[in-house]
Formats: sequence, C-alpha cells, structure tokens
Amino acid sequence: MISTGMTGIDDMLGGGIPKGSKVLYSMEPGVNGQLFMISTIYEALTKDLSCLIILPHTTVDAFLHDAANMHGSILQTTGKKIAFIDMIDRERIQRSATTRDTAENEWRARINKLCKENQTEVIFGYFDVMYEEFGLERGFNLLESCPSDKTPTIIIEHLNFEGNRLLLQFIEKLSFDLVISIRATFGLLPHFNFFTLVHTSWAPLQKRSVPFIISNGRIVPYIPKIVVMGPPESGKSTFVAGASERVCSIDKKGLSGDTTTVAMDFGWMHWKDFDITLYGTPGQPRFDLILPMLLKNAMGAVIVIDVTKPDSLARAKHLISLISERRMPLVIAANKNDLPNRMNEVEIRTALALNKNTPVFFISAKRNEDVRFVLESLVDFITQFSY
Amino acid sequence: MYIYKTGIAQIDGVSGGIEAGSNILMLAPAMSYAEQLAYAIIKPVPGEYSLVLSTNERAAEVVDFFKSAGCDKRFIGVIDAITKSSTPSISDTPRLMFVSSPTDLTGIGIKFSNMIESIFEGTFADGETGLFPPPIRFCVNSISTLLMYRKLEVMYQFLHILTAKQKKIEGLAIYLLNNESFDDKTLSLIKQLMTGVIEVKVEGNANYFRITGIRGTKADWQKFTVTKGQVTIVP
Repeated sequence: MISTGMTGIDDMLGGGIPKGSKVLYSMEPGVNGQLFMISTIYEALTKDLSCLIILPHTTVDAFLHDAANMHGSILQTTGKKIAFIDMIDRERIQRSATTRDTAENEWRARINKLCKENQTEVIFGYFDVMYEEFGLERGFNLLESCPSDKTPTIIIEHLNFEGNRLLLQFIEKLSFDLVISIRATFGLLPHFNFFTLVHTSWAPLQKRSVPFIISNGRIVPYIPKIVVMGPPESGKSTFVAGASERVCSIDKKGLSGDTTTVAMDFGWMHWKDFDITLYGTPGQPRFDLILPMLLKNAMGAVIVIDVTKPDSLARAKHLISLISERRMPLVIAANKNDLPNRMNEVEIRTALALNKNTPVFFISAKRNEDVRFVLESLVDFITQFSY
Repeated sequence: MYIYKTGIAQIDGVSGGIEAGSNILMLAPAMSYAEQLAYAIIKPVPGEYSLVLSTNERAAEVVDFFKSAGCDKRFIGVIDAITKSSTPSISDTPRLMFVSSPTDLTGIGIKFSNMIESIFEGTFADGETGLFPPPIRFCVNSISTLLMYRKLEVMYQFLHILTAKQKKIEGLAIYLLNNESFDDKTLSLIKQLMTGVIEVKVEGNANYFRITGIRGTKADWQKFTVTKGQVTIVP
C-alpha cells in the first residue's frame, strides 16, 4: 500500500492505495485542495519510492517552493529517486514538435526514458494540460506507457470543469481505481470544502463526502458542527463533556437542584484524524428562539433522551421536527440506560415517531466509550451523506 | 442593489453607475489605453476593494498604477501570473499572490477564492469597510494572454465559473480582450458570458470607447484620455 499522506483518508481506504493503482484527485475550480496531491508526493518520497513528477503548468523550482509553503516543510529531493518533467520541458516540446502526433511521441519518449532510468514506482501528473492537448485517453496513455518492471502507481490531479460526467469517464473508460473529488459548497462564499470518495476499485466503499480543513500543512477531515439537543436534564452537558477534549458549559442550578444549561455547551474533539466541534443546546422551551441559529450549518444532530422519563419525549419529538426540517443526519442517544424503569426501543420509536433509518443507541452519558460510539456512528452517517 | 460608480459621466450620469454582479468585456486593440481605462473603472472608491488578475504586468506595477491614482493600496489585491516564473521563491502575501504561469488555472482559481474569502472574513486589509457583501471590483488583464496558454474551450469553461462567482458575490468585473488577435467565433463565445461590452479603438492619435449593454448608456463613440486613473471625455 502507498499512503495518501492523510491518515483519515488512509483509514477510509483500508490502509492506503494499493501499488499499481490509478488515482485521480479531481479538483473543482477555486477549491483549495492542492495539498491532497502534495501530501501524497511527500509521503511517497519519505518512503523512498522512485517518483516521476510531471508539471506542465509550472517549473520545478516554483513547484518545490509552493509545495514547501503548502506542506510547511521542504520537499527533500537530494538523495531521492525523483525525476521531473516541467513547464520548460513542455515548452521545448511545443517548439520542436510540428504536429500533435510528434508532440505526443516526444512526451512519450521523455516519460519512457525517465521511467526506465529511475525504475519509477509512482508517477505524479498534473493532468489538465495533457488532457487539453491530447484528450483523455491519449493523454493518459502517455502516463501508462511507462516501461518499468513493475506497473507504476499513477496519481493525477486534474482541474475538472466537466463535473461527474468526466469522473465517470475516468472510472469507466480508463478503469481508475480511486477517484477523489475535491469540492466546496458555495453560497456567497465557499461554505466549506469537502472531498468525496467517488470510487474505489479494491474496497466496497459507499460514496462518502467529508469536509476538510487545512491545518499546519495537513488535510484534516472536519465536522464543523454537530448539535446535541434534548429535553431538559436528559444529560446533554454530560454527553458533550464525555466526548470532548476541551469543553465549556454555561449552566445554572435548576429547580431540581441539578445544573441546567442556560446558553450552550461547547466541546471540541479530535477523533481518527477528524476535528469535530460539538454544540450542546439548552433543553428548556424558553430557549427555543436560539435553536434555529444553533442548528444553522450543522452537519449532524444527536437527540439525547432520558429513558426513565417517558413524559419528556413530547419535547424530544418537537426537537426532532426542527432537525427534520433541515435535512441532516440524526441519531438518538437513549441516555440513563443504567437506571431502572427504562423504556425499550419500540416504546421510544413509537413515542418519537422515528423512521427505521434513525438509529437509537442505549447509553450512559457517564461512560465516555458510549458517547464516543454514538458520535462515531453519527460521523459515519455524515460521511455517507451526499451534499 | 449596490451600484458601482465608474468615474465616467456617460455611465454614472445616466444610470448612477454599473449594477452589482455585472461582467463587462472590454474589446480593444493593442496600445489603445484600454488597460488604463479598465483600471480606472475598477479603481476602488472608499469602502470598496479591487482585485486584478495580471498576466501582463508584475504585481508591483499594478499596485503602482493604483497608488498613483490616489487609491489606498490596502484595498488592492493582485494575482500575478508573471513574476513567479523568474522568481520561483516569491511568496504570497494576503494581498499579492503569485501563480507560476497563466497556464495554471488551478492556482489562479484558488488564489482568487482565497482573496475573496479573506475580504469577506475581514482579514484582507487592516481597516475594513463595514459594507456587506463587500463591494469588489475585479479586472482580468487579459483574456488574450490566457488564450495564448489555454484552449478556447477551456478558457470558456474557466470564465463561465469566474463570471458566475463574480455575479454571486455582487462584484463588478472587467475582462480585457484584444479583438484584433482573435476571430469572431472567439469573441462571440466570450461575449455570451458578459452583461455588457466596452469597445475601444484608436483613430489618428486619439482613443475612443463605446458602451453596449449597460442600462441607459448610449452606444456612441467617446473620445477619452486617462490621467492618473481619471477618465476624461474629450469633447
């Protein structure tokens, strides 16, 4: 396996990219996703793989400088098995070749020569210009003609103006093994960047989309907002605290003597290379005015209920209706499952009028592993949600 | 809707200026002062920002133009597609960003998004304007150069996305294209993406422009000069 250089993505792929695969990082115009390819290049060189990097849009020096800026460390080429074809080579080919066929032959000859000399194991190609000059199949065929003993892994980045239609061609015509589409949701501005695992040939993965941020030269899968809601005193604050590495709550003593949240709980957790932010909402109806604001841009929701208080479920049902209006992944955390006189799943599903796709997890919010399991399931749900 | 003043009486006097979300194609032969005219139109008034994608001049030269026109350089951003090929180690700043060549449409798109994002987030300039959405003027100088590096079909797709974004952020954009270097098919294809056209011509020693597609303006040729970013109509 070759690592993508991004732990979270390697995990989703079952450890990385099988050697000899064909991989596409498809870039939507304007989306800052160049670090995907850069991360994989760094990783390949760290593992001492012999690499050929094809850069028809830039020079080697400019590329190395940009890569170092993006990744936060210099790309070590000294002592590494690395070769380049860059913009200057492309200009030479353009000047010397009189027809498209001769240009194609010249490209092929250069790639073959470098592959043979270096026993190239991985070819990294910035594909836009080759696609433009030679078309999809002929352009890609240039990369595939590398005469190494072992079939090299081919990893390309492509600026995709044609959307899913082009992705299908990569998958169906060129038999790509992994297609990752890097995109953004746009309002007035990009709201968040996300990548979609569109296709993998070696693992039966569902198509999944995951937001990401760039932090310290790394791609970090990111869930910017999960909202934790529920009736008063159902255990929301305990749930957020149990999940979080850092947490802040704004509480006061309630009538029962227990504390009750009067603004919100805020927690942050890092899990499996994901950054996740949790917003716990106040449970009392007098705070309903702020719920739409807290739900805005949320990517998923947890409804925490107290399984020993059937009369609190009407309130939970109302909160579920607020979430349903916004079409987002939802799970139910049936809390206080360690106490007597609890409801069973059928009673809960009936009282909340849940559809069969909404999971119900019986937990005790005091047990961190229960809380983590609920969130792990929700993150899985979110990553399979198509935006 | 926000209205962008142009400093040209023939536009501002009739319709108050150009409506937000407009994309204007400026068709001009070489050495016709079109670049000066375009920069004069996208010069920011207080409260606005201006961005330039420069494929012909270095960022420093672009900024100099705006400084000489009396603009506050904190509100000027340049995406420079020239300098990096000769100075590979040059680094981006929030307001000056560099791509290695006009071929690099991936880089251009990302830098454009980054600048827009920082303007919206309020991190672009030291002092922010307080208007929302922030009024942004934008100039592509020039499509002609980009077309030398990339095919028309690709440029059409790229400009389609750029003009749509421009519309969405309610900016005003001017795209320069040398109409003597490209055939009618190219010109009409690019025109499809635009809301208006400013044509520029040179006759004798004088420069003229005329405007089509901007509400309320007459399509007569106007003789003009540009001095320190100020357009003067010569009677």
